[in-house]
Amino acid sequence: MLRLLLFLRQHARTLKWTFWGIIAAVVVFDCFAPRHHPHFWGDYIRGFWSLFAFLGCVLMIVLFKGIYHVWLMKEHNTYE
Amino acid sequence: MSDHAVLIHPATWFILAAALSPFLNRVKLVKPVFLAVPMLALALIYLNRDISLFGQVNWLGFDLVFGRMDKLSFVFLHVFIIMAFIGALYGLAVKETGQKAAGLLYVAGALGTTLAGDYLTVFIFWELMAFSSVFLVWYSPRAKARGAGFRYLLIHTLGGLILLGGIMLRYQATGSLDFGPLDPGSATLAEYLIMTGFILNAAVPPLHAWLADAYPEATVTGAVFMCAFTTKAAVYVLARGFAGFEALTILGAVMTLYGVFYAVIENDARRILAYHIISQVGYMVCAVGIGTQLAINGACAHAYAHILYKALLFMGAGAVLQMTGKSKLSELGGLYRHMPWAFFFTFIGGISISGFPLTSGFVSKSMIIAAAGENHQPVIMLMLMLAAVGTFLSVGIKLPYFIWFGPDKTYSPPPGEAPWNMNLAMVLAAFLCIFLGLGPGYHALYALLPYTVDYHPYTAYHLSETFQILVFTGLGFSLFIKRLTPKDKIAMDLDWFYRKGTPHFMVLVRQVLGRLDLWATDVYRKVGIRMTMALARGFTWFDINGIDWSIDGAAKSVVKGGDTLRHIQTGKIQHYIGGAVILLFAVIILAVIYKTGA
Repeated sequence: MLRLLLFLRQHARTLKWTFWGIIAAVVVFDCFAPRHHPHFWGDYIRGFWSLFAFLGCVLMIVLFKGIYHVWLMKEHNTYE
Repeated sequence: MSDHAVLIHPATWFILAAALSPFLNRVKLVKPVFLAVPMLALALIYLNRDISLFGQVNWLGFDLVFGRMDKLSFVFLHVFIIMAFIGALYGLAVKETGQKAAGLLYVAGALGTTLAGDYLTVFIFWELMAFSSVFLVWYSPRAKARGAGFRYLLIHTLGGLILLGGIMLRYQATGSLDFGPLDPGSATLAEYLIMTGFILNAAVPPLHAWLADAYPEATVTGAVFMCAFTTKAAVYVLARGFAGFEALTILGAVMTLYGVFYAVIENDARRILAYHIISQVGYMVCAVGIGTQLAINGACAHAYAHILYKALLFMGAGAVLQMTGKSKLSELGGLYRHMPWAFFFTFIGGISISGFPLTSGFVSKSMIIAAAGENHQPVIMLMLMLAAVGTFLSVGIKLPYFIWFGPDKTYSPPPGEAPWNMNLAMVLAAFLCIFLGLGPGYHALYALLPYTVDYHPYTAYHLSETFQILVFTGLGFSLFIKRLTPKDKIAMDLDWFYRKGTPHFMVLVRQVLGRLDLWATDVYRKVGIRMTMALARGFTWFDINGIDWSIDGAAKSVVKGGDTLRHIQTGKIQHYIGGAVILLFAVIILAVIYKTGA
């Protein structure tokens, strides 16, 4: 297991390019995926969930971390 | 209850093993019994799955039902017992027999609640869960565990009282303790009190802070047990009684995002996982609220899958804590060199919870999202999808990345892999997470669900949707990785109100109520006592001069009168005749006067 992890780390560049390849493949796949049970308008749009996930992820990181820094972040002895 | 019913109730054996644990420990049998009891329980529920009711008792006029076996209770019993076995294996090396006994009683509580057919039995086992699980927190060597345990107990006692209040009001109104499906249209205060008691255990915000406060402070094994039972037993009772209550749909959807929010910002690995329980239970609560057959099936399937992968994640984080003594992401990093297998197992848990294809999350979470979609609730569906993004971000990537990769940290001594029993427990859980994602596995799971399943997870569109969610969340993470670097701080939550509020309350008690009490005592001492004394003197005077005078006076008059009468009675006949003659003359004179006057 350790050897596998070390191998993967050594080939980080290849992994990165593979990742971009997967992203492209996923978007292309969605363009051809048949929609049998669309639940709402978003299901008709090609690549809707890609955009949803990316924007959602970025929004959550920025918004949640923002609220944390401005308001909720406290020292460990807050309750002592 | 007949002897037979006692024997076939699986909780009996857990309680018995807990009661005998000191003796079992002495004869070195505690480990095998700890493992054998869940196996026996599993055999018992399979052997008796066709008995719909057992253990019916009339106690003080109440009709109690200790065993109700149907498909809804069976699926929860099934996963609870499997989890009890995995937990027992993981905690095999735990030294304290008391901790093991607490774990056994805790499982007994969850099983008893699931089998209960009436509210009073639910309540009894509900409290058993709370009062046994708190010891899994208190056995922790961490100093903070003591306070966290007390807070956990107090909150659950409050929840239990609300539940009992609801049960009693309902009993007064309907005369029945039967625990069955309730109609959302005719729910009254009683039903909503019962629901409040239940959702407190499901950690629905704002009644959730106990979970993220207590679970991360529990012992390594304790947290693995706790993450499985309390919240999922609550999901079971909600599914049993409150399916179709729309409030639960909204609360559940909010929960999924609330849990994710804290999982994204938190630093402590086990606290991230604890908050993420809230998010995952949110899916189930939401599904119960939707209440359709697909939704209830989804809630059960997700509870089943969730127990296994969340336990796996807690086992991974627990193994790290056990071997390094650390659980904060800011203190961990680069562990892949030391604990690569622990990483592998946690990774399996992480991809399962994120709903990767070929894992259990893929076949369970999507049922709930599909149920929201088919029920024409697109906003709820989008909230659940957003929570799925947050899940992969926080637990799927952030947690393993900052523990096993991220900035390298030095460890002294360098940690090794966890003991064999912990690894074996993780292998079992990881196997089940993958197995349930594959054809035979999810067909077996779907066969356990309460309603017939007409749902196919592996459609091209569902695969496409999932791949997009996962890959683009990964992209977002890789671009904003610096912003996600955890800080060695804590995040305030609603427990602030009682943790910060209690000192303020104590100030109010000491400074205001205490002073008021002293002042009242002083006033009493100065005014009250004097007034009492004056009043007493007044009464004494009245007693002597009023009551005594009249009573004594009357008594003296009687004595005097008696004495006079005694002197009149001479005992000589001549005196009496003389007296009679005088009386006769007197009467005649009076008669004459009266006559002449008239």
